[in-house]
Amino acid sequence: MNDIKLTINGKTCSGKAGQTILEIARANGIDIPTLCHDDSVAHYGACGICVVEAEGSPKLLRSCSTLAADGMVINTEGERAVQARKIALELLMSDHDGDCKGPCRLACPAGTNCQAYVKQVALGNTKEAVRIVKERLPLPASIGYVCPHPCEKECRRGLVEEPISIAMIKRFMSVDQLHSADRWKPERAPATGKTVGVIGGGPAGLTAAYYLALKGHDVTLTDAMPQMGGMLRYGIPQYRLPKDVVDAEIAEIAEAGVKMENNVKIGKDISFADYRAKFDAVIVAIGAWSSTPLHCPGEEQQGVYGGIDFLRSVALHDPLPIGRNVAIVGGGNTAMDACRTAVRLGAENVYVIYRRTQSEMPANAEEIEEATEEGVQFKFLTNPAEIIGENGHVTAVKLQVMELGEPDASGRRSPVPVEGKFVTLAVDSVIAAIGQKVDPKGFDLALNKRGIIAADEATFLTDQEGVFAVGDATNKGAGIAIAAIGEASKAADVADSWLKGHIVPYHEPFVSKRTVTAADLADKEKKARVKVTNRPAEERKHDFEPVNDGFSAAEAMEEAKRCLECGCHDYGECSLIKHANRYEIHPERFAGEKRHKDLEQKLAVIERDQGKCILCGLCVRTCDEVAGQGLLGLVGRGFGTVIKPEFRDSERIKVCATCKKCAEACPTGALKIIG
Amino acid sequence: MTARIVVGEGSCGLAAGAAAVYDALKEKLAGVDAKLGITGCVGACYLEPIVDVYDGAGALHRCVRVKPEDAGTIAGAVKSGDYASLADIAIQPEDEGFLSKQTRIALRHCGVIDPESIDEYLADDGYQALEKVLKTMTPEQVIEEIKISGLAGRGGAGFPTWFKWNAARQSKGEEKYLICNADEGDPGAFMDRAVIESDPHNLIEGMMIGAYAIGCSEAVVYVRAEYPLAIVRLTEAIKQARERGYLGKNILGTDFSCDIRIKAGAGAFVCGEETALIESLEGNRGMPRLKPPFPAEAGYWHKPSNINNVETWANVSWIINHGGAAFAAMGTENSKGTKVFAVTGKVKRGGLVEIPMGMTLRDVIFGIAGGIRDGRKFKAVQLGGPSGGCIPESLLDTVIDYKSLQATGAIMGSGGMVVMDDSTCMVGIAKFFLDFTTKESCGKCVHCRIGTKRLGEILNRIVSGEGKEGDVELLEELCNTVKAGALCGLGQSAPNPVLTTIRYFRDEYDAHIRDKKCPAKACPALLTYAIDKDKCKGCSACAKKCPVGAISGEVKKPYSIDPAKCIRCGACHNTCRFGAVTVE
Amino acid sequence: MQTCNHPSVDLTLLEDTLAEYAGVKGSLISILQKTQEIYGYIPIDAVYRISERTGASPAKILGVATFYSQFRFQAVGKYLILLCKGTACYVNGADRILDAVSDELGIGNNETTEDGLFSLSVVACLGCCSLAPVMMINDKTYGSLTPDKARQILRDLRKEAEAQ
Repeated sequence: MNDIKLTINGKTCSGKAGQTILEIARANGIDIPTLCHDDSVAHYGACGICVVEAEGSPKLLRSCSTLAADGMVINTEGERAVQARKIALELLMSDHDGDCKGPCRLACPAGTNCQAYVKQVALGNTKEAVRIVKERLPLPASIGYVCPHPCEKECRRGLVEEPISIAMIKRFMSVDQLHSADRWKPERAPATGKTVGVIGGGPAGLTAAYYLALKGHDVTLTDAMPQMGGMLRYGIPQYRLPKDVVDAEIAEIAEAGVKMENNVKIGKDISFADYRAKFDAVIVAIGAWSSTPLHCPGEEQQGVYGGIDFLRSVALHDPLPIGRNVAIVGGGNTAMDACRTAVRLGAENVYVIYRRTQSEMPANAEEIEEATEEGVQFKFLTNPAEIIGENGHVTAVKLQVMELGEPDASGRRSPVPVEGKFVTLAVDSVIAAIGQKVDPKGFDLALNKRGIIAADEATFLTDQEGVFAVGDATNKGAGIAIAAIGEASKAADVADSWLKGHIVPYHEPFVSKRTVTAADLADKEKKARVKVTNRPAEERKHDFEPVNDGFSAAEAMEEAKRCLECGCHDYGECSLIKHANRYEIHPERFAGEKRHKDLEQKLAVIERDQGKCILCGLCVRTCDEVAGQGLLGLVGRGFGTVIKPEFRDSERIKVCATCKKCAEACPTGALKIIG
Repeated sequence: MTARIVVGEGSCGLAAGAAAVYDALKEKLAGVDAKLGITGCVGACYLEPIVDVYDGAGALHRCVRVKPEDAGTIAGAVKSGDYASLADIAIQPEDEGFLSKQTRIALRHCGVIDPESIDEYLADDGYQALEKVLKTMTPEQVIEEIKISGLAGRGGAGFPTWFKWNAARQSKGEEKYLICNADEGDPGAFMDRAVIESDPHNLIEGMMIGAYAIGCSEAVVYVRAEYPLAIVRLTEAIKQARERGYLGKNILGTDFSCDIRIKAGAGAFVCGEETALIESLEGNRGMPRLKPPFPAEAGYWHKPSNINNVETWANVSWIINHGGAAFAAMGTENSKGTKVFAVTGKVKRGGLVEIPMGMTLRDVIFGIAGGIRDGRKFKAVQLGGPSGGCIPESLLDTVIDYKSLQATGAIMGSGGMVVMDDSTCMVGIAKFFLDFTTKESCGKCVHCRIGTKRLGEILNRIVSGEGKEGDVELLEELCNTVKAGALCGLGQSAPNPVLTTIRYFRDEYDAHIRDKKCPAKACPALLTYAIDKDKCKGCSACAKKCPVGAISGEVKKPYSIDPAKCIRCGACHNTCRFGAVTVE
Repeated sequence: MQTCNHPSVDLTLLEDTLAEYAGVKGSLISILQKTQEIYGYIPIDAVYRISERTGASPAKILGVATFYSQFRFQAVGKYLILLCKGTACYVNGADRILDAVSDELGIGNNETTEDGLFSLSVVACLGCCSLAPVMMINDKTYGSLTPDKARQILRDLRKEAEAQ
C-alpha cells in the first residue's frame, strides 16, 4: 500500500491508500465523532455525525466511508460540518425517548445519583452505595436524617402508588457504614501545593473543603462556633439529627485531610483581608444566621426570640427561657423544629401561628403531622398584629385574623386581613421562625439588592479575585442543606480548575428526559412503601431521642427493590449524550412526534428499549456480519422504522443468551444486557 | 384501401373508458370493411378516449372524448365515407395545436403504432439503428455518436449519457449489467409509463445499443409495480423481439448477445435513486448505498453497471438513425435535444408535451397547454416533483434547459410540470411534498429520516394557524442542513419545495404565521365560513349538507353558521347556488 | 406489525414459486410478490417457509417486505381501492375525494370495511395525472373524479357484489 499525506485541521497526517479519512484522523489523534460506524462491520453512513469538510468539495464528506486521497485538506470542525453534525444530534435527540438520569437524580439539588445508591442497597452493598453518594455529598447520614427530599417528590414510583423512601434508605446505608471498620475511604489526589481557606463549617463549607482536599489542595476550614457542623449542629434539634452522627461524618472529612479551626470569627479574630492573604483561594460559606424580625409592635420585649437563636441555645445546652405558653410564628421546617423543641422542653401550650392554611405550609407534611401528634396547636389564618407585654416582658400576642385572597405569582393564595377581626392569645414567649438573614459584616464583598453576598452563578466567584461564595450566604439566600451542598461541590470543581490556572465554569449538561404518565406505568406491580414506625408521641415528646429507628437492613433492601430504575444504565457510556454535550445542542426547537416509545421487547438476556434506538443499525449489522446470525431486522420504512428480532427457532435464542454482541455494539442505552 | 380505426389504449385512455369504446366499435363495425386496432398514448390525455379514423385514402380523422355511444357514428362514417358526420366528436383546431407545436423524438411512435405489434414498429424504421450499430459501428463509435448528440440523463440529474456509458465500458470486469430505471416515482410525471405502454420496442432497441456500446450481456428493466399495463406490454415486446432475433444470443447473427429481464418494483419512491434501485434489484430493502463506489465501478452484484431511465433510452435509436449532430442541433448551449414534460394541474390542456430544449416555460404552459382553466390566474409551476421547486409567474420566461432551471431553485427533474392557480396554497404545497418525502424516506440517514419529518411538522403547524415567528428561519436552517447532510438524492433534494416556496412566496408564509390567514383560501384551519344575508335565499340546502349541524335558520330567511361548530369542510360553500357562503 | 394470529394458510400453494426461484439470487421481492398474489397478503407462515427454502433469515424477509408499500400483512377486501394523492391529484382536490370515500365506506387509510368488501389505500401517484383526481380499484382506473362520482362508483360496486 502506498503512503499518502493529507492535512487534517492544519496538521499533516500520513496514512495508507485505501484508508478512510476517519481511520487516518484517529490514527493521528484527531477525534471525529460517529454513532453508526464500527470497524468490525461494513461502512453504513447513516448517522451523518462524522461529516467533514474537504477543501475544493462543495459537499460534506462522510469520513467513516470516504477514502482519503493524497493531498486532501480536511477540516473536521468547520462551520458547515459542525452545523450538520449538531442538527443531526438535535434531530436524534428530538426523537429520543429516554431518561439519561432518573427524575430523582435530576430533582436532587446536589445531583446525587439516588438510583445508583438505592440499587446498591437493594443488592445489599451499602459500602458501594456510600461510595456513590459521596461522589456528590460528603454528609449522607446527616442529610439522610434531615433532608426534605425533593427527590421523592419527583420519584416516578409515585405514579404507581408511593415514591421510594430515598432519604430513609440513605440514612440507613450511611449510618450502617459510619461505624464499619471496612467502610469506604476516598483516595486523595497528590498534593498540589495550593492552599484554600474555607470559612464556615456548615454543610456547604464542609462539602467544599472535603472535595478540594480530595483534589490534593491544602484546605483549612475555619468556623466561628466551638464545633463544626453549622446549622446541622446548631439549627437542627437532636431528636431530628443525633449529634454523634454529625460528629462522625465531620471526623471523616477531617480524615480526608481537611484542617479545622474553630472559634475564629472573621472581622473579630482576624480581618478578612488578612485571612484572604493566607491562602491561594478562599471559599466563603458563612450561612444565614440572623432571624428575620416580625416587624410588629412590641417585638423588642423580653421573651421574643428568633427561631434559629432559640434552637441554637438548646443545642448549646443553655435554652432561652420560654415559659409554659409559647407561640411560634411561621410555617416552615424551622417553625416545626422550634415548636417540637418547645414541647420537649416542657411547655404546656405550644401554638403555631401561620397566616395561611395547612395546605400552604412549606414544612414537610410528616413534620406537621408529628408536631400535631405531639400536641402542638395550630392557629391557621392568623398573623401577629401586636405583642402585648407587662414590664417589658411578653404576656400575650394579638392576632389579626386572615382569609385567603387571590393567588399570587407563586400560585399560592395570598392571605389578606379580615378587617377589624382580632383574637388574643396569652403567651409567655414568642418565637419568630419566619426566615433567616445573612450577616455579611466584616467580609467586604459585593452584595446583591437583598444584602446577600453576590456570586456568579456559573463560577461562584465574588467580586474579589480567587474568592468564591456558596450556600445560604449567597445570591438567593437561605435554602435547604442539600442545595448548599450542591453548590459547594460544583464550586469545588470550579475553584480546582481556577487553582490549576484555567477556570472551567459550571455548565448544566444537556440530558434527555422522558415524559411519563401514570397510564404509562399502569402495568407495574403495586408494592406499598415500607413504613417506619415512630415512637409514640406521648413517649417521644418528653425526650430528645430520635423519633424513630429508621429502616432495618431488611426493610431498606425491600424498599430499595421498589425502584423502577428510570435513569439510563448507559448514561456514562452513551455516545449520543457524549456528542450532544460536546456540541451544546438544543433539540427542543425541533420538538415533534416521537416514534413508538411503548415498544419494549426482550430478546433472551437483552432488554430492548425502542425509545432510545437511533436506528444506526449496528445491532442488526453486528448480528449479521459479526455473529452471523441474522436474527434482527429493520422493520418498516422512514421515520417509523423499528428494529425487531424475528425467529421461532429456540436453538437460536440460546445463541443470543451467550453472544450479546448486539448490545455491546449499541452506542446508546437501547439495548441492555440483563443476564 | 381498407379504413383503419385505432383506439388509444394507454392507461389514461383506458381510465377514460377506451376499453368500452373499443368494445362498442367492435360490435358496430361487425361486417364493415374496416380494421379495428389499438395504439398507445398520443399524450393529449385531456382528450381521451381518442379514436383515430384513417379513411381509405389514409387521411386521419381524429375523434376525441369518444363515448361508447359514438361508435355507431364512427361506423356510419366509415360505411358511408361521409367523415364530415364526425364533426361533433372531431378534434378542434386549437387542440390540434397541442400536438402540432411539439417536436417528437422519444414519443415519436406513441399513439401512432400498435405497441403490441413488432411489425408496426419495424414498418416505422424499427430496429434499423440496432442493425446499423451491430454491423457497421464499434462500441467506441457508438459512444462517440452519443457524445456528439449531447444526450443527458432524462431522469433528473442530467448527467452526460456518453460519460456514464464510457465509465462502465472502461471498468474492469467481464460481467457488466445494463439497467433501465422505469421506477418513475415523481408524482406528476408519467412519460416513462407512456413510452413503455406505447412504444416498448423503442426502449428495447435503445437498451440493446447501449448494451453493445458498454459490453453488457444482461439487462434489467426495473418497472414500478403501479404500472401493470406497462409490464404486460413490455413482457410481450421482449418475447416478440427475442423471437425475431433482436434479443438473446447472437443478435442479428452477430457475436453480440444480450437479454432483458423485467423486475417489478414493489412501491418505494427512493428506488428511483440508482444505488437504492440496485439494492432492490438484489432483493433487499431499497436503502441507498454510500457513493463512491459509483455503479459504473461496482453496481448490481457489485459489478460494473450502467443505469439510464426510460426516456433517455427512448432517444438512442433516433440519434443513431439521424446522427448525433441532428440531435445536438436542437436545444441550447448546455442542453441538447428534446425533453418530454407531463403538464398537469390547472391547465386547459394537460398531457405529455415533448419540446426542444430552449423553449420557455410560458411557451409550454400558455402556448401549448392553453394556460389556466376556469378563468383563474396562474400562480406557480412545480417542476421536478418532490426534488424540485415552484417557479412563480415572474420567471415564466425562463428558458427550459438544465442550467436555467437550476438557477431558479427548481430542477428539470424527470419532467413533471404541475401548474397551479391562485387557489393553491404555496405553504400547503410545500407541506404536501414534505409529507410525501417523509413517507418515502427509507429511514437510513438521520438528516432525511427525522429532518423531513420535522420540516413537515413545522409546515403543518404553519398551515394550521399555529406558526410562530422564526419558523421560516428555522425551516431554512433545517432545509440547508438536510441538503448538506442527507445520504442520497432523495434527502438532499427534499428541502427544495420548501426553499423555493419561501424564496418566491414568502408573503404567503408570513400571512399564515402573522395574520393567521391563507391567501389562497385553501388551508381549512385558517378559514371562516359565513353566510351573506343579502344573497341567502333561505333554501336550506347548505344546512342539509352540513355534516355537523352548524348551520341553522328558518326556510326563506337568511341562514347562519355557528363558527364554534363549523369544521370548515366547505360543504356549504360547494353546495350554495347563490354564492351566499363566504370564505375568509 | 400485524403478523400474528392469522389462520394457518396452505403452504403447498407456495411450492411452485419456491421451485421457480430456487437458486436464483436476488429474487426475494419477486417471491414475495408471487406470495401476495397467491394469498392476497404475506402470511407470517409463508415468511418462515420462504426462509427455510431460500436461506434468508425471517428477520431479513420481513425487513424487505415491510419496506415496500406494495406488501400487506392482512387480508384485504374484495375491492382494493388505491386512491392517488400525487401532485396533480392533490392540486385537483384529492383530499375531498378521500373524505368522500372514507365517509361512504366508514374506513380510513389502510382499513377494510367490516363486510370485507372494500379496502382503502392512499398511494403516491398512479401516473394518470391528466385525469386527476384518480383512483384505481382492482386494476381499473377511474379518472376526473368528483366526491359524488366517487361515491357512485362505490355504490355500483357494492350492488355488483350483492348481486353475485
